[in-house]
Amino acid sequence: MTQIEIKRGAPIGLRVVVFALAFLFSFPGIYLIWRNLTEDSDPISLIGTERILSPLWRSVSLALAVSASAAVIGTLLAWLTSRTDIYGCKVWKLLLPIPLVFPTFLGAAAFIRTMNPGGLLNRFFSTLGVDQTIEMRGFFGAWLVLTLFCYPYVYLPVAARFRQLPRSLEESSRVLGQTPIRTFRKIILPQAGPVIAAGTLIVFLYTISDFGAVQLMRYDTLTRSIFTAQLANQSVALALSLILLLLAGVIVLSERIFSRVTFKTDQALMGKPLEYELGKWKIPAFIFTIFVSLLSIGAPLLAIGDWASDGIFRSTVGGRPLTIDREQVWESAWNTLSISVIAGIAAVLAVLPVAYIVAKYKSRIGRFSHAVVISTFALPGLLIALAMRFWTLRTDWAFDLFNNTKALLVFSYVVRFGSLAMGVVLLAVAAVPQRLQDAGRTLGVQRGSRFFRIDLPLMTPGLGAAAGLVILSTMKELPITLLISPLGFSTLATRIFSSFEDAFVTEAGIMALVLVLISFFLTWFLIIRKADHF
Amino acid sequence: MILRTFLTTVLLASLLFGCGGSDPEFLDGRAAEIYGGECSGGNGKSVTIYSGRTENLINPVLEAFACETGTNVQVRWGSSINLALLLNEEGSKTQADVFLSRSPGPVGYLESKDLLGQIGEDVLSLVDEQNHSAAGTWVGFSGRKRVLVYNTDEFSPETLPDSVFDLTDPKFKGKVAIPGTNGSFVDWFTVFIDQYGEETATQWLNDMVDNDAKYYPNNRSIVEAAGRGEISMGLVNHYYNYQEVAANPDTHKALNYSFNDNDIGSLLVITAATKLASSENDEAAEDLLAYLLTAPVQQYFTDRTFEYPLAAGVVPNAALPALTALEIGSVDFDKLGGGFEEASRIVEASGILNR
Repeated sequence: MTQIEIKRGAPIGLRVVVFALAFLFSFPGIYLIWRNLTEDSDPISLIGTERILSPLWRSVSLALAVSASAAVIGTLLAWLTSRTDIYGCKVWKLLLPIPLVFPTFLGAAAFIRTMNPGGLLNRFFSTLGVDQTIEMRGFFGAWLVLTLFCYPYVYLPVAARFRQLPRSLEESSRVLGQTPIRTFRKIILPQAGPVIAAGTLIVFLYTISDFGAVQLMRYDTLTRSIFTAQLANQSVALALSLILLLLAGVIVLSERIFSRVTFKTDQALMGKPLEYELGKWKIPAFIFTIFVSLLSIGAPLLAIGDWASDGIFRSTVGGRPLTIDREQVWESAWNTLSISVIAGIAAVLAVLPVAYIVAKYKSRIGRFSHAVVISTFALPGLLIALAMRFWTLRTDWAFDLFNNTKALLVFSYVVRFGSLAMGVVLLAVAAVPQRLQDAGRTLGVQRGSRFFRIDLPLMTPGLGAAAGLVILSTMKELPITLLISPLGFSTLATRIFSSFEDAFVTEAGIMALVLVLISFFLTWFLIIRKADHF
Repeated sequence: MILRTFLTTVLLASLLFGCGGSDPEFLDGRAAEIYGGECSGGNGKSVTIYSGRTENLINPVLEAFACETGTNVQVRWGSSINLALLLNEEGSKTQADVFLSRSPGPVGYLESKDLLGQIGEDVLSLVDEQNHSAAGTWVGFSGRKRVLVYNTDEFSPETLPDSVFDLTDPKFKGKVAIPGTNGSFVDWFTVFIDQYGEETATQWLNDMVDNDAKYYPNNRSIVEAAGRGEISMGLVNHYYNYQEVAANPDTHKALNYSFNDNDIGSLLVITAATKLASSENDEAAEDLLAYLLTAPVQQYFTDRTFEYPLAAGVVPNAALPALTALEIGSVDFDKLGGGFEEASRIVEASGILNR
């Protein structure tokens, strides 16, 4: 029942809004260009030099490897938990998004301290007589940790997409005697392809921007070059950052060309999607899911729990007293929860017009804005923080209005993480059948009214999942929170960082546990409860 | 549904805000060790601090200052390098009056940008001459000694070398960790270059690379890895091992080892306090800097954070390695601002960062 789609030009109001949003999202990019000019940087002469090529190659090869594995794991898990009769489906839905919330420096440290020589698991294995465990470092260590912490970027949107696919095609395929695997390959994968690609792109960009994990794994990337050059040779750092952003822009634009197929369905309202029986695959699928969650959630939780319990025990028997009290933990927890929820909602609202114009209209501004929002994700948080500071200080009214406010902090989060919401929001927008719109129009309902009465209710579950992605990521954010937040504002992540820096691992462990608990609650509330209405 | 949401919110709010406040008149915990008296009322002054030193250890000092003087204290915590970059971005519009740095490098950077103000002679004279800048733009408030941290299962002190130069010996092939990108390492290496000349310093680092030295991102990760036995030894600040031992007394198997007193490997690196040129709270900023150098605070630094005191005649904690070579601190840290870039370039070129 495909219908011929005629994309119209977008209404002028929407175009203006989208243009304004693109401008706001391009603050970091404009900042980099500006600073490159004022600092007399010379990015062009750097291109092609050894100084950039080898770290760039290491960054890109790591990002490719991580995206490939995260795409496979994320898609498989999405399929298993949303469309099959796997054991413990509800539990997996609650657990699988959790890795998003571990700060990568903490996750990487947890792996190093658990698996490497002398670590908890390593000692456990040697008592069993296994002498050699794989050492977490370099390319392998970075790849493993980033894959385990990034697969939810694919898993979440793809699971949402799988739940949304119309059952009619799959039923036909079944009736025609196709095996489930063939149905998956021929019917489902092509329909989910653009969503998988969008999620994979996010993983790619995140890997490029990451500093915490690659640094601890001692894998030398472009972000490391940028960070070490910052004090010693600022113009080089600025030039490298600009090159990084441009590279991201090129990749994002080319991804759009490859996945021109939009996320369209006209039969989103066809009831519960088909569920497949795994049959003889039931046990292997179960083992695979357990394996992934043990590594990505179990291992860090084990380390964190070990730190927390060890120190609490020691402080009760007269060892080093804890340096945090209950009040501080509550305050940081509340700050974390409230600011990240606000950021999540704001991010969804900010990308909604962009997603709307991309999905519904033929618009150059739309495509451009989309590319700006997504490619900004390749920039390390520190650069976004500095850029935001820079802009508020350049204009007096912005300074008076925003300096030392949470508004600026939320704005910075939205710019940093808006890209995460984009994919899922796009999916939600495109899933609203055109014929309902047409029906509304025929009945004489105004455009604005149609949006609130038809589109918005249908999109709510998708928007919830999008907000969830942003919220879980904001909760662990560090450089922006440290540099942009109002004075005296602390989150769990900033306290974890501060404690961890001076080996107060107990305090870090306690607060990380609180962070995980909050994220369980949010995952249940935003992603699972809402998504079941799909 | 709405009712449920409401109830959940109320429950959550009561949990979050329900806990009682502490007595505002007296301090408790670590801050009380510094100042045990009754807090004075507000003195109308306020000071904003950007602190590269971490909250768990420095906040008690700032709480004591606020309580004892009645000054309103606000803090932004972060890494020294990030805060220095932020200060550069903020320029004269910054809210910060005082910047506390973990190592001299970020201070040199801010000095090169002309962002630091002149500290009064009263405060500067509280420390020895080598521990403040000649121009009066920064003052040291605690010291950290460069040491070799080693795993006690693999080495004993008798088998360790007298000088950092001996680490290029084949005996130590593949055994030594170097925090090549770490601020205090680069600071130390800058002084190394200053003392021995660029050629010798470059040669030493290249020999270390040839001797299969390993790169680690920072002091903390080396000390932690040495404690587990992942690496045999590493060049770090003395201070980190104490924190690690306090956190994991049973499993952490690493100790500090000092090179010869006169060896460059035993350099004392200071943590520095500065006043921003744009500060409008000059008096409160001076008060705070002076407070950092009072006897109770210096005592706290040596007893609780295991650093070397620099003022008020406070004696280093007995647990710290002896510091007979304090004069080695007389190295001119003013040179670090300019030398930092050169040192970074040599470190980058040596290839250690890929090991």
